[in-house]
Amino acid sequence: MAKKEFLDIVGEKKFLLIFGTLLIVVLVSTFQGGLNYSSSQSSAGTIPRQGEQQGVPGEFRVIGSAQSLSTALSSMVTNFSLVGGVLAIAISFDTINMERQRGSLQTLLSYPIYRDTIIYGKYLGGLLAVMMVSVITFLAGVGVFVSVTGLSMTMDTAMRLFLFFGVSLIYMAIFLAVGLLLSIVLPEPSTSLLASMIVWLASIQLIPNIGYAIGQILFPMRLSFSGGTPSFSMPTGFQAIRAVISGLSPSTTYENIVNTILTASTMQFQSGSVTVVSIDLGQALLQSLPSLIYFVGLLVAVFAAAYVVFTRQEIR
Amino acid sequence: MISVIEVKNLTKKYGDVTAVDHVSYSIEESEIFGLLGPNGAGKTTTILMLLGLIRPTEGTAVVNGADIIQNPLLARKNVGLLPENVGFYGNLTAKQNLSFYAELADVPKDAAASRVDKLIDLVGLSDKRDAKVSTFSRGMRQRFGIAQSLVRDPKILILDEPTQGIDPEGTRDMRELIRLLSKEQGKTVIFTTHLLHEINRLCDRVAIMKQGVVIALGTIPDLRSQINAQEGEDFEEVFLRYQGVV
Repeated sequence: MAKKEFLDIVGEKKFLLIFGTLLIVVLVSTFQGGLNYSSSQSSAGTIPRQGEQQGVPGEFRVIGSAQSLSTALSSMVTNFSLVGGVLAIAISFDTINMERQRGSLQTLLSYPIYRDTIIYGKYLGGLLAVMMVSVITFLAGVGVFVSVTGLSMTMDTAMRLFLFFGVSLIYMAIFLAVGLLLSIVLPEPSTSLLASMIVWLASIQLIPNIGYAIGQILFPMRLSFSGGTPSFSMPTGFQAIRAVISGLSPSTTYENIVNTILTASTMQFQSGSVTVVSIDLGQALLQSLPSLIYFVGLLVAVFAAAYVVFTRQEIR
Repeated sequence: MISVIEVKNLTKKYGDVTAVDHVSYSIEESEIFGLLGPNGAGKTTTILMLLGLIRPTEGTAVVNGADIIQNPLLARKNVGLLPENVGFYGNLTAKQNLSFYAELADVPKDAAASRVDKLIDLVGLSDKRDAKVSTFSRGMRQRFGIAQSLVRDPKILILDEPTQGIDPEGTRDMRELIRLLSKEQGKTVIFTTHLLHEINRLCDRVAIMKQGVVIALGTIPDLRSQINAQEGEDFEEVFLRYQGVV
């Protein structure tokens, strides 16, 4: 079942189209990110204080490299969160209702096989397709990045990139499960596509915006003037509310986790100088643990809902 | 005779609507059993309950010795289905489609290849073996559906409106195929239709359904005598009298 599903998916034109799009945007963004990374490495050493020109008194001295993998690969992460979600939805939005519409679901279920076999097989087939896309895209993206930057691949960097890959896979698996669930619940593929796209839009846009709006209502940002210059002060409550609500969005959570994992160093401001402090992988993982738990929990919950509905559904 | 299907008080309700209402009958080995009734009479719902695709509200059925509620997997192990709106994987060829179903039915690989070829020949699609199913006409799809239902070599065949959308020649071929499968291969065939002449020509026994209830059950002569049909009276007239239309 999984093998057939995988072959069906990778043979479809829509799959090839979205896969091609994802590959192109990731290659372009990693190329651009690589160039930025290289130029920041060569010019690393000083950053100007806000409102002052470089080279004049008041300049900070930077000890170490300020450019992290997370900054360099940020557009790759963003593109993955956008196009990766769409690809997963495109694969799964009609998994079950297309079988129903085609008239093959009753035939399939008349065989002496458990419904579990069908739903696992179909999901696994989709997951294999997503995995294939991720492996190719990642290897190509990382290959371009390394060749542009000449970055030596340390064990730490390799581990971070591997985790980036793993988290991206979970992210796509969530949208795969969302599409699957909607294809079970909604009878028409066109309706499930629309509903899946609404979920995706909510994830990338609506939920973060709601977080911002609720944060603003509860803890409004204050405008103050110091020396005639206007500045906004952002209350801690606003940031906390915004983080909690935005964190419900798989896309925001994905970006947060990946950025934390890819951030190998951070800047600490001390009197007169900025020190780059390294963050080891263990610390990064610990920091993103709650988000990771939510992420995996969300995947399990959505798939479990799809499983329960499908195994109890009447096939008319 | 041995009963291969025993339907006991089978009932299906959707809210206030009773689709199948306390239906009971048994079907014997090698019998061609017709379920006759107008649209919405409960024929397809009954079939889907026998296959465990719809859960009965009340009652049960025993298929090949297995209870459809307690052991639906075993119950459908020896059943082949041709659904009313049969569909296949259009991107696959006839051979690939049947091979997929053979794999689902756990047919050993070496046996599957020859069985697939034989079945394609049996339904007269030998020249379409490697053609994609999406190119098949309605009649070809129906015939191919029979091949699909036979891929696991079942003892029982359930055919839901098998002649729907087929031309008269195709209908005749289908009828002959059903007869061959029952009388020469010993398969029990249950088929639903609203085409009365098919029932008249093919079935050993018939259950006439109306609004979810079996209103008459027996051989064609039994049904005629139960309603005091006149000599030479068309079966269509008999059916309509059962339905209370005339």
